[in-house]
Amino acid sequence: MTHLPNNPVRGELVEPRDAARRGAAIRASTSSARTAILAVLAFATAQPALAQNASPESRLADFRTRVERLEDQDQIELLQASYGYYFDKGLWTEVAQLFSADGRFEYGQRGVYIGRERIRRSLLLFGPEGLSPGRLNNHMQLQAIITVAPDGRTATARWQGMVMLAQPGVNGQWGVGVYENQYVKEAGVWKIASLHFYPMAQTDYDAGWMRGATQMDGPSALFPPDAPPTEVYRSYPSNYIPPFSYPHPVTGEPITLVQPRDDIAGRE
Amino acid sequence: MRTILVGALALCLATPTTAQEQSAEATLDALDARITRLEDLNQIERLQRAYGYFVDKGQWTHLSNLFADDATLEIGGKGIFVGRPRVLEYMQTAFGPDGASPGVLANHMQFQTVVNVSADGRRAWLRGRAFVMSNAGWGLPLYEDEFEKGDDGVWRISRLTGPFTMYTNWQGWGENALNNTWPDKFNPPPDLPPSTVYLTYPAYYIAPFHYPNPVTGEPFRPDVGTVGAYHRPPGTAEQVESLGLGRQADGTQAIALPPQE
Repeated sequence: MTHLPNNPVRGELVEPRDAARRGAAIRASTSSARTAILAVLAFATAQPALAQNASPESRLADFRTRVERLEDQDQIELLQASYGYYFDKGLWTEVAQLFSADGRFEYGQRGVYIGRERIRRSLLLFGPEGLSPGRLNNHMQLQAIITVAPDGRTATARWQGMVMLAQPGVNGQWGVGVYENQYVKEAGVWKIASLHFYPMAQTDYDAGWMRGATQMDGPSALFPPDAPPTEVYRSYPSNYIPPFSYPHPVTGEPITLVQPRDDIAGRE
Repeated sequence: MRTILVGALALCLATPTTAQEQSAEATLDALDARITRLEDLNQIERLQRAYGYFVDKGQWTHLSNLFADDATLEIGGKGIFVGRPRVLEYMQTAFGPDGASPGVLANHMQFQTVVNVSADGRRAWLRGRAFVMSNAGWGLPLYEDEFEKGDDGVWRISRLTGPFTMYTNWQGWGENALNNTWPDKFNPPPDLPPSTVYLTYPAYYIAPFHYPNPVTGEPFRPDVGTVGAYHRPPGTAEQVESLGLGRQADGTQAIALPPQE
């Protein structure tokens, strides 16, 4: 929403509280926020004299909020990219420290691990700390759509996760999936409140999807999760759609979905 | 930046003469424009990435709603579709109704975006690429897209141009490379013919850049003497021979010789 560079009144009437909403509306584009902004703009247009008198203080407060939201977005990008670089190399202690104290970690159908120490130990299911010779564990963090809440305290993001795996004696694997994550700012520091990776497809390097799609791992019997999977689905050749955390960027409406049928998960 | 803001504020409060008020106002206006530009860059990237996530899962109605009413869409060599309803028709006819069909993997992962916004903040352009990971194999479309900010302050795609660089099956581009999408290859037919014709890999085609070299500031102009489409690897006799065939004014070559009577 609503930055009209050619509109002489833009940004000059908005009080700090409205400015925060407007800054968020740029990213979230919720219809209610848009309505509010349009109302503000209409009011401003109708009373240009008042707009002229918008104080430098209120404009600065508006700028400050908008710059903070931009900085928040950058910080979340840095946080999630770091998660990927640590995860690639089996640096489980570093990974776990990126989560909030009650953070949640959910990978495919393995279930949910809650809290830093539980998360750290569950990551050993992906290999020993620091991996071991011959292992490749690349989990790329790409195509971010980050939505920071208007108050700058929480955020969500969708990421595209390309995966390349290998271990000795086994052929390499291609994988791909989607992250829908939640973040929280604690004492000025952004942390992962919930990481949910939805593997979409995985296959043997030589076979390809058509001949060799493999399925996700279920919950571990050795180190069971704290909660069962929040969403039950199968990866390719099924085609589950991870729900979108952000509203439609143009209409501002929630992105409605019809999930494909799945006789095992019970979706008709 | 915060220091500058505080300084501007202090100046304004301390000496409220008309000239200095205007100067502080101008400083604030300039800052506003710079912050708005950063927000706009983010919003354009967001649109392109949202487009990718919609393609991945066949969400054609949501996808078409990213486009302006009079937007155009041109993908591969298929020709140009005009208007949002035709964008939707193209997607639903060519790729099936809305929804994620079992057995289909059609990931169009959106990477490497370069975004530029016009001086007045009403138009923007993006160069980007999709890395296609599909059940059929691999693909590399490029994008040179245009965006417009409506009177409602919302950015929309006004032109999507997606020339293909390379498409192959699971065997890989060393073994097998597929042709470009021809206008008559599948329904629906386009409203207008392709804006240019070119061959995909192993041919060599450079989609024009919307922006100059970021260091020199000079526009990049393809060398029409040595580059263009060809159908054999560089250095082979067939490739050298094909360099002179059917070249058009902009350096590209037709996908086939004109029909002979």
